[in-house]
Amino acid sequence: MKKTLLFTYGFLILVTIGTALISNLVTVSGLAVGLIMGLSMLKFFLVSFQFMELKKANSFWKGSLIFVLGMIVLALISLK
Amino acid sequence: MWIIIFLELITFGMAIVAFAFYASEQPELFHHSRMQLNSTFGAINTVFLLTSGFFMANAVHEFKENNLKKSSLYFKLTMLGGLFFLILKSVEYYHKIEAGITPETNVFFTFYWLLTAFHLVHVIMGLVILIWTNYGMMKKKSDTGVEDIEACAAFWHMCDLIWLLLFPVLYLIF
Repeated sequence: MKKTLLFTYGFLILVTIGTALISNLVTVSGLAVGLIMGLSMLKFFLVSFQFMELKKANSFWKGSLIFVLGMIVLALISLK
Repeated sequence: MWIIIFLELITFGMAIVAFAFYASEQPELFHHSRMQLNSTFGAINTVFLLTSGFFMANAVHEFKENNLKKSSLYFKLTMLGGLFFLILKSVEYYHKIEAGITPETNVFFTFYWLLTAFHLVHVIMGLVILIWTNYGMMKKKSDTGVEDIEACAAFWHMCDLIWLLLFPVLYLIF
């Protein structure tokens, strides 16, 4: 078992608990939405770069992933 | 494989943006409907998928290290995570159907059922691919290479990534 994977996993679980707490404790507002989506983006990048090994893929795919995810989150925040 | 993953992400991404558009048109309906979802179930399912993704990454690592038995064990743990996800999702669907919440209830639930069911189909497909790859890997005259294992893992992680987008959008922010 690789230590990097274990640390990433532990961090992902903490961020998931953090996201759930924010949604329960903070009244849904622009700030809460930004925080929740920001943490979700962080989880998304950790899974794709550490677990999925996107870091070893061609830069085109890395750029595309960041672009696609950025567009989705921007659209979500602007529509909320 | 990357092309398939990106096409899937774009498909789900467009549906999520459409969902947000309808939510901006009817914010009260979406908020009221969202409150009927069990976010604890959603969070636990996130943990199940993250855990299975972690085991999948370890399975690939062990395969590359030529530890086939350990890799197979991680494959099985990955499948277990996926199975727990399926069970909890089925319980959630059962509660919704019992409460009379169907895709026809309103726009929110049309999206909820379509998005989660489409994702669930991917998880089931992922489980079939995992079983098949694990079986192929453990055969005596196995021709399963690292590319096969990586492709299988990439598909599984894609299910994880899609859920990481669906969970906050459906259960938390509206």
